[in-house]
Amino acid sequence: MIHVENLTKRYAGKTAIDRVTFDVGRGEIVGFLGPNGAGKSTTLKILTCYLSATAGSAKIAGHDIFTDSVRARQHIGYMPENVPLYTDMRVAEYLNFRARLKGLRGRDATLGAEEAMETTGLSGVSSKMIASLSKGYRQRVGLADALVNKPDLLILDEPTNGLDPNQIRQVRELIKQLGDRHTILISTHILSEVEVTCGRVIIINHGHIKASDTPQNLIRRLGAAGKTVIEVKTAPNLVLEELEKMPGVESASHVMSRGDWTVVEIATEPNIDLREALHELMIDRKWPLRELTRRTASLEDAFVGLTKSLDEERAESH
Amino acid sequence: MRVFYVIFSKELRSFFSSPLAYVVIGLFGLLNAWLFVSIVTVMSMSVTPRSLVYNLFDSGWFWMGFCFLFPVLTMRLFAEEQKMGTLETLLTAPVRTIQVVMAKYFATVTVYLAALVPVFLLFLLFRGVTGQAEAFHGGALFGAAVGLILIGMANIALGVLCSAMTSNQIIAAMVCFAVIMLHYFLGFFQYFGGMPGSLMTAGLGYVSNVDHMRSFSEGLIDSRPFIYYLSFTALLLAMTHHVLEFRRWRV
Repeated sequence: MIHVENLTKRYAGKTAIDRVTFDVGRGEIVGFLGPNGAGKSTTLKILTCYLSATAGSAKIAGHDIFTDSVRARQHIGYMPENVPLYTDMRVAEYLNFRARLKGLRGRDATLGAEEAMETTGLSGVSSKMIASLSKGYRQRVGLADALVNKPDLLILDEPTNGLDPNQIRQVRELIKQLGDRHTILISTHILSEVEVTCGRVIIINHGHIKASDTPQNLIRRLGAAGKTVIEVKTAPNLVLEELEKMPGVESASHVMSRGDWTVVEIATEPNIDLREALHELMIDRKWPLRELTRRTASLEDAFVGLTKSLDEERAESH
Repeated sequence: MRVFYVIFSKELRSFFSSPLAYVVIGLFGLLNAWLFVSIVTVMSMSVTPRSLVYNLFDSGWFWMGFCFLFPVLTMRLFAEEQKMGTLETLLTAPVRTIQVVMAKYFATVTVYLAALVPVFLLFLLFRGVTGQAEAFHGGALFGAAVGLILIGMANIALGVLCSAMTSNQIIAAMVCFAVIMLHYFLGFFQYFGGMPGSLMTAGLGYVSNVDHMRSFSEGLIDSRPFIYYLSFTALLLAMTHHVLEFRRWRV
Protein backbone atom coordinates (compact mmCIF):
# COMPACT_ATOMS: atom_id res chain seq x y z
CA MET A 1 0.00 0.00 0.00
CA ILE A 2 2.82 2.35 0.93
CA HIS A 3 6.25 1.92 -0.51
CA VAL A 4 8.89 4.41 0.60
CA GLU A 5 12.43 4.38 -0.64
CA ASN A 6 15.32 6.52 0.59
CA LEU A 7 13.11 9.47 1.32
CA THR A 8 15.14 12.47 2.43
CA LYS A 9 13.99 15.96 3.37
CA ARG A 10 16.33 18.82 4.12
CA TYR A 11 15.11 22.19 5.38
CA ALA A 12 17.62 24.99 5.12
CA GLY A 13 20.62 22.91 6.05
CA LYS A 14 18.82 20.78 8.61
CA THR A 15 17.98 17.20 7.70
CA ALA A 16 14.49 16.35 8.91
CA ILE A 17 14.45 12.81 7.57
CA ASP A 18 17.35 10.91 6.13
CA ARG A 19 17.03 8.02 3.66
CA VAL A 20 13.85 6.68 5.19
CA THR A 21 12.77 3.36 3.69
CA PHE A 22 9.76 1.28 4.67
CA ASP A 23 6.75 -0.59 3.35
CA VAL A 24 3.24 -0.92 4.63
CA GLY A 25 1.19 -3.79 3.29
CA ARG A 26 -2.53 -3.81 2.57
CA GLY A 27 -4.64 -4.27 5.70
CA GLU A 28 -1.86 -3.56 8.17
CA ILE A 29 -2.16 -1.20 11.13
CA VAL A 30 1.24 0.34 11.54
CA GLY A 31 2.37 2.63 14.32
CA PHE A 32 4.85 5.30 13.37
CA LEU A 33 6.68 6.04 16.54
CA GLY A 34 9.24 8.54 17.62
CA PRO A 35 10.00 11.34 20.06
CA ASN A 36 8.82 14.85 19.23
CA GLY A 37 10.79 16.30 16.36
CA ALA A 38 11.94 12.92 15.08
CA GLY A 39 10.52 13.50 11.60
CA LYS A 40 7.18 11.72 11.91
CA SER A 41 5.00 14.57 10.72
CA THR A 42 7.43 15.49 7.96
CA THR A 43 7.27 11.95 6.60
CA LEU A 44 3.47 11.92 6.72
CA LYS A 45 3.27 15.32 5.05
CA ILE A 46 5.43 14.05 2.24
CA LEU A 47 3.37 10.89 1.86
CA THR A 48 0.18 12.93 1.64
CA CYS A 49 1.78 15.14 -1.03
CA TYR A 50 1.70 18.30 1.07
CA LEU A 51 5.49 18.66 1.06
CA SER A 52 8.03 17.44 -1.40
CA ALA A 53 11.02 15.31 -0.55
CA THR A 54 14.55 16.46 -1.31
CA ALA A 55 15.41 13.00 -2.59
CA GLY A 56 14.01 9.51 -2.74
CA SER A 57 10.65 8.23 -3.88
CA ALA A 58 7.38 6.98 -2.49
CA LYS A 59 4.36 5.21 -3.91
CA ILE A 60 0.82 5.02 -2.58
CA ALA A 61 -1.22 2.13 -4.01
CA GLY A 62 1.22 2.02 -6.91
CA HIS A 63 0.98 5.73 -7.75
CA ASP A 64 4.11 7.80 -7.42
CA ILE A 65 3.41 10.70 -5.05
CA PHE A 66 5.48 13.14 -7.10
CA THR A 67 4.48 12.36 -10.67
CA ASP A 68 0.97 11.04 -10.06
CA SER A 69 0.08 12.98 -6.97
CA VAL A 70 -3.68 13.46 -7.49
CA ARG A 71 -4.27 9.78 -8.07
CA ALA A 72 -2.12 8.86 -5.08
CA ARG A 73 -4.13 11.26 -2.94
CA GLN A 74 -7.39 9.62 -3.99
CA HIS A 75 -6.35 6.59 -1.95
CA ILE A 76 -5.52 8.50 1.20
CA GLY A 77 -7.65 9.70 4.07
CA TYR A 78 -5.43 12.05 6.03
CA MET A 79 -5.94 13.56 9.44
CA PRO A 80 -3.21 16.12 10.13
CA GLU A 81 -1.83 16.91 13.54
CA ASN A 82 -4.06 19.30 15.53
CA VAL A 83 -6.96 18.60 13.15
CA PRO A 84 -7.46 21.82 11.19
CA LEU A 85 -11.14 22.39 10.34
CA TYR A 86 -13.31 25.17 8.93
CA THR A 87 -14.81 26.38 12.17
CA ASP A 88 -17.49 28.44 10.45
CA MET A 89 -19.16 25.38 8.94
CA ARG A 90 -21.59 22.90 10.41
CA VAL A 91 -20.43 19.31 10.91
CA ALA A 92 -22.65 17.74 8.25
CA GLU A 93 -22.02 20.60 5.86
CA TYR A 94 -18.26 20.27 6.29
CA LEU A 95 -18.23 16.52 5.76
CA ASN A 96 -20.48 16.84 2.76
CA PHE A 97 -18.09 19.43 1.30
CA ARG A 98 -15.12 17.18 1.96
CA ALA A 99 -16.89 14.20 0.42
CA ARG A 100 -17.63 16.13 -2.75
CA LEU A 101 -14.10 17.48 -2.82
CA LYS A 102 -12.85 13.91 -2.73
CA GLY A 103 -14.94 13.01 -5.73
CA LEU A 104 -18.26 11.71 -4.37
CA ARG A 105 -21.30 13.12 -6.12
CA GLY A 106 -24.68 14.34 -4.89
CA ARG A 107 -26.40 11.56 -2.97
CA ASP A 108 -23.21 9.53 -2.54
CA ALA A 109 -21.61 12.49 -0.81
CA THR A 110 -24.53 12.86 1.59
CA LEU A 111 -24.53 9.13 2.31
CA GLY A 112 -20.76 9.07 2.75
CA ALA A 113 -20.94 11.96 5.21
CA GLU A 114 -23.79 10.30 7.12
CA GLU A 115 -21.96 7.01 7.33
CA ALA A 116 -18.74 8.67 8.50
CA MET A 117 -20.70 10.56 11.17
CA GLU A 118 -22.29 7.34 12.33
CA THR A 119 -18.97 5.49 12.55
CA THR A 120 -17.38 8.28 14.55
CA GLY A 121 -20.40 8.99 16.75
CA LEU A 122 -21.10 12.44 15.38
CA SER A 123 -24.75 11.96 14.38
CA GLY A 124 -25.95 13.86 17.45
CA VAL A 125 -23.98 17.01 16.60
CA SER A 126 -24.35 16.99 12.81
CA SER A 127 -26.01 20.42 12.69
CA LYS A 128 -23.67 22.11 15.19
CA MET A 129 -21.08 24.66 14.17
CA ILE A 130 -17.60 23.16 14.31
CA ALA A 131 -16.45 26.22 16.30
CA SER A 132 -18.73 25.19 19.16
CA LEU A 133 -17.44 21.61 19.39
CA SER A 134 -15.12 20.33 22.10
CA LYS A 135 -11.65 19.07 21.29
CA GLY A 136 -12.79 15.45 21.39
CA TYR A 137 -15.57 16.06 18.91
CA ARG A 138 -13.31 18.03 16.60
CA GLN A 139 -10.93 15.10 16.60
CA ARG A 140 -13.81 12.91 15.52
CA VAL A 141 -14.75 15.32 12.75
CA GLY A 142 -11.17 15.07 11.52
CA LEU A 143 -11.39 11.31 11.60
CA ALA A 144 -14.78 11.34 9.86
CA ASP A 145 -13.25 13.54 7.17
CA ALA A 146 -10.45 11.03 6.65
CA LEU A 147 -13.03 8.24 6.31
CA VAL A 148 -15.63 10.01 4.25
CA ASN A 149 -14.78 8.59 0.84
CA LYS A 150 -13.75 5.19 2.23
CA PRO A 151 -10.11 5.43 1.16
CA ASP A 152 -7.90 2.33 1.22
CA LEU A 153 -5.36 4.03 3.40
CA LEU A 154 -5.78 6.14 6.52
CA ILE A 155 -2.88 8.31 7.63
CA LEU A 156 -3.50 9.70 11.10
CA ASP A 157 -1.05 12.11 12.67
CA GLU A 158 -1.31 11.84 16.45
CA PRO A 159 -5.03 11.06 16.50
CA THR A 160 -5.35 11.01 20.28
CA ASN A 161 -3.32 14.15 20.93
CA GLY A 162 -4.95 16.30 23.61
CA LEU A 163 -7.82 13.97 24.41
CA ASP A 164 -8.86 12.83 27.87
CA PRO A 165 -8.34 9.18 28.85
CA ASN A 166 -11.90 8.14 28.01
CA GLN A 167 -11.76 9.76 24.62
CA ILE A 168 -8.37 8.20 23.96
CA ARG A 169 -9.90 4.80 24.64
CA GLN A 170 -12.80 5.53 22.32
CA VAL A 171 -10.56 6.68 19.49
CA ARG A 172 -8.37 3.61 19.97
CA GLU A 173 -11.39 1.33 19.76
CA LEU A 174 -12.49 3.13 16.65
CA ILE A 175 -9.09 2.73 15.03
CA LYS A 176 -9.11 -0.98 15.79
CA GLN A 177 -12.53 -1.30 14.17
CA LEU A 178 -11.39 0.63 11.13
CA GLY A 179 -8.46 -1.73 10.79
CA ASP A 180 -10.84 -4.33 9.35
CA ARG A 181 -11.50 -2.24 6.30
CA HIS A 182 -8.54 0.11 5.92
CA THR A 183 -4.79 0.08 5.95
CA ILE A 184 -3.77 2.46 8.71
CA LEU A 185 -0.60 4.37 9.45
CA ILE A 186 -0.73 6.18 12.80
CA SER A 187 1.95 8.44 14.08
CA THR A 188 2.18 8.88 17.79
CA HIS A 189 4.53 9.29 20.69
CA ILE A 190 2.16 7.54 23.06
CA LEU A 191 3.51 4.03 23.37
CA SER A 192 0.63 2.29 25.05
CA GLU A 193 -1.47 3.32 22.08
CA VAL A 194 0.76 1.48 19.67
CA GLU A 195 1.03 -1.58 21.87
CA VAL A 196 -2.74 -1.88 21.95
CA THR A 197 -3.68 -1.05 18.38
CA CYS A 198 -0.84 -1.72 16.01
CA GLY A 199 0.32 -4.93 14.41
CA ARG A 200 3.65 -3.40 13.54
CA VAL A 201 5.76 -0.52 14.74
CA ILE A 202 8.20 1.65 12.87
CA ILE A 203 10.46 3.62 15.17
CA ILE A 204 12.04 6.78 13.86
CA ASN A 205 14.52 8.98 15.66
CA HIS A 206 16.56 11.92 14.39
CA GLY A 207 15.18 11.28 10.93
CA HIS A 208 16.36 7.67 10.71
CA ILE A 209 14.29 4.52 10.81
CA LYS A 210 15.55 2.63 13.83
CA ALA A 211 13.37 -0.45 13.88
CA SER A 212 10.36 -1.97 12.18
CA ASP A 213 8.74 -4.98 13.79
CA THR A 214 5.81 -6.19 15.89
CA PRO A 215 5.68 -4.64 19.36
CA GLN A 216 6.38 -8.05 20.96
CA ASN A 217 9.40 -8.71 18.79
CA LEU A 218 10.73 -5.26 19.39
CA ILE A 219 10.60 -5.70 23.12
CA ARG A 220 12.34 -9.02 22.82
CA ARG A 221 14.87 -7.94 20.28
CA LEU A 222 15.79 -4.75 22.00
CA GLY A 223 16.33 -6.74 25.15
CA ALA A 224 14.51 -4.45 27.47
CA ALA A 225 14.91 -5.78 30.98
CA GLY A 226 11.93 -6.90 33.02
CA LYS A 227 11.52 -6.16 36.69
CA THR A 228 10.52 -8.28 39.68
CA VAL A 229 9.65 -6.85 43.06
CA ILE A 230 9.75 -8.85 46.29
CA GLU A 231 8.95 -7.95 49.86
CA VAL A 232 10.64 -10.25 52.30
CA LYS A 233 11.13 -10.38 56.09
CA THR A 234 14.88 -10.25 56.54
CA ALA A 235 17.76 -7.80 56.54
CA PRO A 236 18.42 -6.00 53.24
CA ASN A 237 22.09 -6.97 53.01
CA LEU A 238 21.28 -10.67 53.41
CA VAL A 239 18.74 -10.79 50.65
CA LEU A 240 20.79 -8.65 48.28
CA GLU A 241 23.78 -10.91 48.78
CA GLU A 242 21.71 -13.96 47.82
CA LEU A 243 20.16 -12.26 44.82
CA GLU A 244 23.50 -11.19 43.38
CA LYS A 245 24.47 -14.81 43.16
CA MET A 246 21.28 -15.91 41.43
CA PRO A 247 21.51 -16.59 37.66
CA GLY A 248 19.37 -14.34 35.45
CA VAL A 249 19.59 -11.37 37.80
CA GLU A 250 21.06 -8.28 36.26
CA SER A 251 20.94 -6.16 39.36
CA ALA A 252 19.06 -5.97 42.63
CA SER A 253 18.39 -2.84 44.60
CA HIS A 254 16.95 -2.14 48.00
CA VAL A 255 13.90 0.07 47.57
CA MET A 256 12.79 0.55 51.17
CA SER A 257 12.22 -1.12 54.49
CA ARG A 258 8.88 -1.36 56.32
CA GLY A 259 9.70 -2.45 59.83
CA ASP A 260 11.23 -5.91 59.49
CA TRP A 261 10.20 -6.14 55.88
CA THR A 262 12.52 -5.31 53.01
CA VAL A 263 11.36 -4.33 49.52
CA VAL A 264 13.82 -5.23 46.75
CA GLU A 265 13.56 -4.54 43.06
CA ILE A 266 15.29 -7.01 40.79
CA ALA A 267 16.12 -6.22 37.18
CA THR A 268 16.14 -9.42 35.20
CA GLU A 269 17.65 -10.30 31.89
CA PRO A 270 15.14 -10.13 29.03
CA ASN A 271 12.42 -12.76 28.97
CA ILE A 272 13.47 -14.46 32.13
CA ASP A 273 10.97 -15.29 34.83
CA LEU A 274 12.61 -15.53 38.25
CA ARG A 275 9.50 -16.07 40.33
CA GLU A 276 9.89 -19.77 40.83
CA ALA A 277 13.56 -19.51 41.72
CA LEU A 278 12.79 -16.75 44.17
CA HIS A 279 10.11 -18.84 45.79
CA GLU A 280 12.54 -21.72 46.24
CA LEU A 281 15.11 -19.40 47.69
CA MET A 282 12.66 -18.07 50.28
CA ILE A 283 11.66 -21.57 51.35
CA ASP A 284 15.27 -22.61 51.56
CA ARG A 285 16.17 -19.68 53.79
CA LYS A 286 12.86 -19.71 55.66
CA TRP A 287 12.30 -16.03 54.92
CA PRO A 288 8.65 -15.07 55.00
CA LEU A 289 7.55 -13.53 51.69
CA ARG A 290 4.49 -11.31 51.27
CA GLU A 291 4.88 -9.86 47.79
CA LEU A 292 6.22 -11.26 44.56
CA THR A 293 5.38 -9.28 41.44
CA ARG A 294 6.78 -9.45 37.95
CA ARG A 295 6.42 -6.64 35.46
CA THR A 296 7.31 -7.56 31.89
CA ALA A 297 9.12 -5.01 29.79
CA SER A 298 6.81 -2.77 27.80
CA LEU A 299 7.31 -1.14 24.48
CA GLU A 300 8.03 1.97 26.48
CA ASP A 301 11.12 0.39 27.97
CA ALA A 302 12.24 -0.75 24.54
CA PHE A 303 11.60 2.69 23.10
CA VAL A 304 13.38 4.53 25.86
CA GLY A 305 16.29 2.13 25.63
CA LEU A 306 16.52 2.55 21.90
CA THR A 307 16.17 6.30 21.58
CA LYS A 308 18.26 7.05 24.64
CA SER A 309 21.18 4.87 23.65
CA LEU A 310 21.11 6.59 20.29
CA ASP A 311 21.24 10.00 21.87
CA GLU A 312 24.16 8.88 23.98
CA GLU A 313 25.96 7.51 20.93
CA ARG A 314 25.39 10.84 19.26
CA ALA A 315 26.72 12.76 22.24
CA GLU A 316 29.84 10.63 22.23
CA SER A 317 30.48 10.99 18.54
CA HIS A 318 30.36 14.80 18.78
CA MET B 1 -14.35 21.39 -13.35
CA ARG B 2 -16.32 19.57 -10.66
CA VAL B 3 -13.65 20.23 -8.05
CA PHE B 4 -13.63 23.85 -9.16
CA TYR B 5 -17.37 24.06 -8.65
CA VAL B 6 -17.25 22.39 -5.22
CA ILE B 7 -14.63 24.82 -3.91
CA PHE B 8 -16.20 27.78 -5.69
CA SER B 9 -19.57 27.25 -4.07
CA LYS B 10 -18.00 26.65 -0.67
CA GLU B 11 -16.04 29.90 -0.94
CA LEU B 12 -19.09 31.80 -2.06
CA ARG B 13 -21.05 30.39 0.87
CA SER B 14 -18.37 31.41 3.31
CA PHE B 15 -18.49 34.96 1.93
CA PHE B 16 -22.23 35.14 2.40
CA SER B 17 -22.48 33.18 5.64
CA SER B 18 -20.25 35.73 7.34
CA PRO B 19 -21.00 39.46 7.55
CA LEU B 20 -18.09 40.18 5.21
CA ALA B 21 -19.94 40.19 1.89
CA TYR B 22 -22.87 42.21 3.27
CA VAL B 23 -20.65 44.79 4.93
CA VAL B 24 -18.52 45.21 1.81
CA ILE B 25 -21.42 45.35 -0.64
CA GLY B 26 -23.52 47.54 1.66
CA LEU B 27 -20.85 50.09 2.53
CA PHE B 28 -19.45 50.28 -0.98
CA GLY B 29 -22.98 50.86 -2.27
CA LEU B 30 -23.67 53.49 0.37
CA LEU B 31 -20.43 55.31 -0.27
CA ASN B 32 -21.13 55.47 -3.97
CA ALA B 33 -24.75 56.47 -3.50
CA TRP B 34 -23.59 59.43 -1.44
CA LEU B 35 -20.95 60.26 -4.04
CA PHE B 36 -23.52 59.92 -6.81
CA VAL B 37 -25.86 62.40 -5.14
CA SER B 38 -23.01 64.84 -4.57
CA ILE B 39 -21.90 64.66 -8.16
CA VAL B 40 -25.44 65.11 -9.45
CA THR B 41 -25.77 68.16 -7.17
CA VAL B 42 -22.51 69.67 -8.41
CA MET B 43 -23.41 68.98 -12.04
CA SER B 44 -26.79 70.65 -11.64
CA MET B 45 -25.10 73.84 -10.44
CA SER B 46 -22.43 74.20 -13.10
CA VAL B 47 -21.85 73.29 -16.69
CA THR B 48 -19.59 70.34 -17.36
CA PRO B 49 -18.64 68.78 -20.66
CA ARG B 50 -18.38 65.36 -19.00
CA SER B 51 -21.12 62.83 -18.41
CA LEU B 52 -22.29 61.66 -15.01
CA VAL B 53 -20.63 58.29 -15.58
CA TYR B 54 -17.31 59.93 -16.35
CA ASN B 55 -17.48 62.28 -13.39
CA LEU B 56 -18.35 59.56 -10.90
CA PHE B 57 -15.67 57.09 -11.95
CA ASP B 58 -13.06 59.81 -12.36
CA SER B 59 -13.60 61.10 -8.84
CA GLY B 60 -10.82 60.55 -6.32
CA TRP B 61 -13.46 59.64 -3.75
CA PHE B 62 -14.63 56.78 -5.88
CA TRP B 63 -11.09 55.43 -6.22
CA MET B 64 -10.51 55.59 -2.51
CA GLY B 65 -13.41 53.30 -1.71
CA PHE B 66 -12.65 51.20 -4.75
CA CYS B 67 -9.01 50.58 -3.75
CA PHE B 68 -10.12 49.48 -0.29
CA LEU B 69 -12.46 46.91 -1.71
CA PHE B 70 -9.80 44.47 -2.89
CA PRO B 71 -7.64 43.96 0.19
CA VAL B 72 -10.78 43.46 2.25
CA LEU B 73 -12.25 40.91 -0.14
CA THR B 74 -9.07 38.92 -0.72
CA MET B 75 -7.00 39.02 2.47
CA ARG B 76 -8.81 36.01 3.96
CA LEU B 77 -8.57 33.63 1.02
CA PHE B 78 -5.29 31.82 1.62
CA ALA B 79 -3.87 33.58 4.69
CA GLU B 80 -6.65 32.26 6.89
CA GLU B 81 -6.28 28.73 5.55
CA GLN B 82 -2.56 28.84 6.26
CA LYS B 83 -3.06 30.17 9.75
CA MET B 84 -5.75 27.62 10.61
CA GLY B 85 -3.84 24.80 8.92
CA THR B 86 -6.80 23.97 6.70
CA LEU B 87 -4.63 24.52 3.65
CA GLU B 88 -3.13 21.16 4.51
CA THR B 89 -6.46 19.35 4.47
CA LEU B 90 -7.47 21.20 1.33
CA LEU B 91 -4.32 20.47 -0.65
CA THR B 92 -3.99 16.86 0.48
CA ALA B 93 -7.42 16.14 -0.97
CA PRO B 94 -7.26 14.91 -4.56
CA VAL B 95 -7.43 18.39 -6.07
CA ARG B 96 -5.09 20.33 -8.30
CA THR B 97 -3.66 23.52 -6.85
CA ILE B 98 -4.75 25.46 -9.91
CA GLN B 99 -8.36 24.40 -9.28
CA VAL B 100 -8.14 25.78 -5.76
CA VAL B 101 -6.64 29.06 -6.96
CA MET B 102 -9.21 29.53 -9.72
CA ALA B 103 -12.17 28.62 -7.51
CA LYS B 104 -11.18 31.08 -4.81
CA TYR B 105 -10.43 33.72 -7.41
CA PHE B 106 -13.73 33.44 -9.21
CA ALA B 107 -15.72 33.28 -5.99
CA THR B 108 -14.18 36.64 -5.05
CA VAL B 109 -14.84 38.02 -8.52
CA THR B 110 -18.47 37.03 -8.06
CA VAL B 111 -18.73 38.93 -4.78
CA TYR B 112 -17.02 41.89 -6.43
CA LEU B 113 -19.58 41.86 -9.25
CA ALA B 114 -22.33 41.79 -6.66
CA ALA B 115 -20.77 44.87 -5.06
CA LEU B 116 -20.87 46.70 -8.41
CA VAL B 117 -24.57 46.02 -8.96
CA PRO B 118 -25.90 48.69 -6.52
CA VAL B 119 -23.58 51.27 -8.09
CA PHE B 120 -24.96 50.64 -11.57
CA LEU B 121 -28.51 50.53 -10.25
CA LEU B 122 -28.03 54.17 -9.24
CA PHE B 123 -27.68 55.14 -12.89
CA LEU B 124 -30.69 53.10 -13.90
CA LEU B 125 -32.78 54.70 -11.16
CA PHE B 126 -31.68 58.19 -12.16
CA ARG B 127 -34.41 58.96 -14.65
CA GLY B 128 -37.22 57.50 -12.57
CA VAL B 129 -36.25 59.48 -9.51
CA THR B 130 -35.29 62.83 -11.05
CA GLY B 131 -37.67 62.85 -14.01
CA GLN B 132 -34.85 64.28 -16.13
CA ALA B 133 -33.02 62.94 -19.12
CA GLU B 134 -29.97 60.88 -18.18
CA ALA B 135 -26.80 62.91 -18.04
CA PHE B 136 -25.03 60.05 -19.79
CA HIS B 137 -25.59 57.52 -22.55
CA GLY B 138 -25.82 53.76 -22.38
CA GLY B 139 -22.53 53.16 -24.13
CA ALA B 140 -20.67 55.07 -21.46
CA LEU B 141 -22.34 53.03 -18.76
CA PHE B 142 -21.52 49.79 -20.55
CA GLY B 143 -17.93 50.88 -21.09
CA ALA B 144 -17.55 51.80 -17.44
CA ALA B 145 -18.89 48.41 -16.39
CA VAL B 146 -16.42 46.64 -18.66
CA GLY B 147 -13.58 48.80 -17.34
CA LEU B 148 -14.43 48.18 -13.70
CA ILE B 149 -14.70 44.45 -14.29
CA LEU B 150 -11.29 44.34 -15.97
CA ILE B 151 -9.56 46.46 -13.33
CA GLY B 152 -11.29 44.49 -10.59
CA MET B 153 -10.17 41.18 -12.04
CA ALA B 154 -6.54 42.28 -12.02
CA ASN B 155 -6.75 43.73 -8.53
CA ILE B 156 -8.41 40.62 -7.13
CA ALA B 157 -5.67 38.49 -8.66
CA LEU B 158 -3.16 40.72 -6.89
CA GLY B 159 -5.01 40.28 -3.60
CA VAL B 160 -5.08 36.51 -4.05
CA LEU B 161 -1.33 36.49 -4.56
CA CYS B 162 -0.73 38.64 -1.46
CA SER B 163 -2.92 36.34 0.59
CA ALA B 164 -1.08 33.24 -0.61
CA MET B 165 2.26 34.68 0.44
CA THR B 166 1.53 35.07 4.15
CA SER B 167 -0.47 33.51 6.95
CA ASN B 168 -1.23 36.94 8.35
CA GLN B 169 -4.36 38.56 6.94
CA ILE B 170 -3.36 42.07 7.97
CA ILE B 171 -0.07 41.80 6.12
CA ALA B 172 -1.85 40.42 3.07
CA ALA B 173 -4.30 43.32 3.14
CA MET B 174 -1.63 45.98 3.66
CA VAL B 175 0.62 44.71 0.88
CA CYS B 176 -2.30 44.43 -1.50
CA PHE B 177 -3.54 47.91 -0.61
CA ALA B 178 -0.07 49.44 -0.92
CA VAL B 179 0.49 47.94 -4.36
CA ILE B 180 -2.93 49.05 -5.59
CA MET B 181 -2.30 52.60 -4.30
CA LEU B 182 1.15 52.64 -5.84
CA HIS B 183 -0.33 51.58 -9.14
CA TYR B 184 -2.96 54.30 -8.79
CA PHE B 185 -0.37 57.01 -8.12
CA LEU B 186 1.95 55.79 -10.87
CA GLY B 187 -0.86 56.58 -13.27
CA PHE B 188 -0.66 60.26 -12.29
CA PHE B 189 3.09 60.45 -12.64
CA GLN B 190 2.79 61.25 -16.34
CA TYR B 191 1.10 64.57 -15.44
CA PHE B 192 3.62 65.69 -12.86
CA GLY B 193 7.06 64.37 -13.64
CA GLY B 194 8.96 63.12 -16.60
CA MET B 195 9.25 64.61 -20.03
CA PRO B 196 6.08 64.71 -22.04
CA GLY B 197 6.30 62.16 -24.83
CA SER B 198 9.19 60.22 -23.32
CA LEU B 199 9.03 56.43 -23.17
CA MET B 200 8.61 56.44 -19.41
CA THR B 201 5.69 58.84 -19.38
CA ALA B 202 4.04 56.89 -22.15
CA GLY B 203 4.62 53.64 -20.28
CA LEU B 204 3.23 55.01 -17.04
CA GLY B 205 0.25 56.37 -18.92
CA TYR B 206 -0.31 52.94 -20.32
CA VAL B 207 -0.44 51.23 -16.91
CA SER B 208 -2.70 53.91 -15.42
CA ASN B 209 -6.01 52.56 -14.19
CA VAL B 210 -7.47 56.06 -14.11
CA ASP B 211 -6.59 56.73 -17.75
CA HIS B 212 -8.08 53.45 -18.90
CA MET B 213 -11.15 54.12 -16.84
CA ARG B 214 -11.56 57.54 -18.48
CA SER B 215 -11.66 56.08 -21.93
CA PHE B 216 -13.98 53.29 -20.83
CA SER B 217 -16.29 55.88 -19.22
CA GLU B 218 -16.53 57.62 -22.56
CA GLY B 219 -17.79 54.41 -24.02
CA LEU B 220 -14.53 53.67 -25.80
CA ILE B 221 -13.77 49.98 -25.72
CA ASP B 222 -10.19 49.48 -26.78
CA SER B 223 -8.57 46.05 -27.09
CA ARG B 224 -5.31 47.17 -25.46
CA PRO B 225 -6.64 47.46 -21.89
CA PHE B 226 -8.21 44.03 -22.33
CA ILE B 227 -4.87 42.51 -23.15
CA TYR B 228 -3.19 44.49 -20.39
CA TYR B 229 -5.57 43.57 -17.59
CA LEU B 230 -6.18 39.99 -18.62
CA SER B 231 -2.49 39.20 -19.04
CA PHE B 232 -1.77 40.92 -15.73
CA THR B 233 -4.44 38.77 -14.10
CA ALA B 234 -3.09 35.59 -15.66
CA LEU B 235 0.44 36.43 -14.53
CA LEU B 236 -0.64 37.08 -10.94
CA LEU B 237 -2.70 33.90 -10.78
CA ALA B 238 0.18 31.89 -12.20
CA MET B 239 2.43 33.39 -9.53
CA THR B 240 -0.10 32.44 -6.86
CA HIS B 241 -0.09 28.90 -8.17
CA HIS B 242 3.69 28.78 -7.95
CA VAL B 243 3.74 30.24 -4.45
CA LEU B 244 1.40 27.47 -3.29
CA GLU B 245 3.19 24.76 -5.24
CA PHE B 246 6.56 25.85 -3.96
CA ARG B 247 6.28 23.50 -0.97
CA ARG B 248 6.17 20.63 -3.41
CA TRP B 249 9.21 21.63 -5.37
CA ARG B 250 12.24 19.45 -4.96
CA VAL B 251 14.75 21.89 -3.58
